[in-house]
Amino acid sequence: MNKAERQPAKIFALLSLILPGLGQALQRDWKRGFSIFLAIATAMATVVWYGKSGWYIAIILLWLWNVWDALNMPRGAPVAIAVLLWLGMAYGIGWQVTQVNPMALFTNTERAQSILRPMLQPDFFTARKEKHEGWVEIQVPCSATPPKAEKTVGDIHIRVQPDCGNLNETLIVTADGLWPNEPTEITWMTPIGDVKLLGPGNNQMLVVETDDEGHLSAVIQVPGSALAAAPDPTLPLPHRVYLTQTRPIGGMTLSTNGQYVVRGIYETLALALLSTLLGAILAIPLGFLAARNLMSGHPILMGIYVIVRTILNIVRSIESLILAIIFVIIVGLGPFPGMLALAIHTTAALGKLYSEVIEAIDPGPIEAIRATGANNLQVIRYAVIPQIIPPFTALTIYRWDINVRSSTIIGFVGGGGIGFFLYQWILIGDFRAVSASFIAIAAVVMILDFFSAKLRERLV
Amino acid sequence: MLRVEHLTKIYPNGTVALRDVSFEVPDGEFLVVIGLSGSGKSTLLRCINRLIEPTSGKIYWNDIDITSASPSEIRRIRRQIGMIFQQFNLVKRSSVLTNVLSGRLGYANPWLSLLGVWPVEDRQKALRALERVGIADKAYQRADTLSGGQQQRVGIARALMQDPRLLLADEPVASLDPVLAHSILQYLEQLNKEGVTVICSLHFLDLVHRYATRVIGLKDGVKVFEGLPDEIDRTRFKEIYGEEAQEVRAASL
Repeated sequence: MNKAERQPAKIFALLSLILPGLGQALQRDWKRGFSIFLAIATAMATVVWYGKSGWYIAIILLWLWNVWDALNMPRGAPVAIAVLLWLGMAYGIGWQVTQVNPMALFTNTERAQSILRPMLQPDFFTARKEKHEGWVEIQVPCSATPPKAEKTVGDIHIRVQPDCGNLNETLIVTADGLWPNEPTEITWMTPIGDVKLLGPGNNQMLVVETDDEGHLSAVIQVPGSALAAAPDPTLPLPHRVYLTQTRPIGGMTLSTNGQYVVRGIYETLALALLSTLLGAILAIPLGFLAARNLMSGHPILMGIYVIVRTILNIVRSIESLILAIIFVIIVGLGPFPGMLALAIHTTAALGKLYSEVIEAIDPGPIEAIRATGANNLQVIRYAVIPQIIPPFTALTIYRWDINVRSSTIIGFVGGGGIGFFLYQWILIGDFRAVSASFIAIAAVVMILDFFSAKLRERLV
Repeated sequence: MLRVEHLTKIYPNGTVALRDVSFEVPDGEFLVVIGLSGSGKSTLLRCINRLIEPTSGKIYWNDIDITSASPSEIRRIRRQIGMIFQQFNLVKRSSVLTNVLSGRLGYANPWLSLLGVWPVEDRQKALRALERVGIADKAYQRADTLSGGQQQRVGIARALMQDPRLLLADEPVASLDPVLAHSILQYLEQLNKEGVTVICSLHFLDLVHRYATRVIGLKDGVKVFEGLPDEIDRTRFKEIYGEEAQEVRAASL
């Protein structure tokens, strides 16, 4: 290279130093110049927006590369370097913006364990138990003439002495007729139904074992919080002391949470079914209105077609979770708003799918049935409906399948079903129940998936 | 007697499918329409039962003007005109019996037929029609489980349900192999001998020679030939099918 050729290159390099890409562009490589300008502009915008000064190095390097490139035109500098620089900057900032912290996966093992360990023991079944329970009323605080704190419930006879008590006073509980040699839970219940524990620190269960004759005696203290919610702490009211024995009688049964899971799953299936049916009924007329082959005959029909299609597309693009939030506000919490949200989404989705089925029907049978002298209704009954019923049914079953999955999530915003319970359990940290609902959801979705696939196979 | 006078059909996109076609079909004839694909054969057949509206011209059947018939009149006329199709045009997912019964729709009580209720006589008639075309044992199968030849026989049985006095057959054997072609056309021939007028479009000249009592040739929508099958010699053939055409014999396929 001689000096005459180098000279303009330096000018172009200078131009590129002032405005990235200018030197390249003026050397007639407009595309390259514009790309460089765009790359550096976007990189600068990102770095300035992010505001961490360290990333300006990437800009400086890109800028220098741009000058180097202008200097070496027309061959230019290796593009790969610029691309890597740009991607490195984007990835690095992206990493920081999303607060990527892989170590968090390992440093918090304790927290992870506190969730995962209960999740390995899903709270679905519990051993079947029988209950043996008695109670006695005792007045708090004391009046002048307290009633006698003695009561027989079934075969359990309980006596508390003295007959009344003030806060933190000591009482003696004696009982007969309990199961012998069994642990017995002793609890306190205030007149408004608050249960207080009587064990150490008033946050543990007080458990006392009966003797060979089913006799028990224990010392308890009136809980300090027994009058916390009382409207008038000086008014003597009857509180209760409960004695409860439970023992397994063999076999398993649904636990309380298990019952909620079953109820939630049932609610989910029902709301999915209802929303699918409602959506399908609404979607059938829309499907016909959105079928191009039926609607292309007349400008007015074509206008309806375009409007219906547009509405279906817009509604379909709204996530049913967002619709559910809106309906929760309008009609309140529960499965109903979830059902409405899913029904509307289903209407839009099925309307589109139905219209595609109608567009794909074979015109041959229609012609053949018309040729027999049939009227229009007969043509629809004998040539159109037999062609669309099986695919309509298959699509509707498929949609139910999808709706069951969606309705598990819709409960998170108050739309009812298993998701509603699941969300509560996550909030209160009952991960055994969370795990039980995960398993139930997975099982139901898998079973439904299997049967809907089988059913659809037969229909198509 | 069917009389076609100056029949012209121009499609909305400007295609001229038929141009001033006139001919007569006396009762009891087996008229074959020949011509290249796109020569207007299908349009001609569909104008006769007004599945396609002619642009101009008249069609008279037994002195009734088909072209100006009202919708209810045209349905009454159509039910006496059977039609079979190249692609059979059966409802594939319905049973064979339902497909055959649908041939009776023009006669049936409209409301009962919408409910899918058919009189016993119609059901027996349908089974007899299936027996006649030799597939009575398939009555309760889905139509699409049948072979092509069997499906076309269902098509014939459906047309039989109409007690047709005229049978339009649009390339009835073009989708079938040569052996099946003969068996299907023999059913048409038999019907023809029983007094049903047949108008049939065909591709293969040897089939034309074998079954036609008279032939019409169409080229670009214009009638270029009308006469007896024997009159179609090589020169005539080239007139209808163009200079480069080679006669293909169904039997040689």
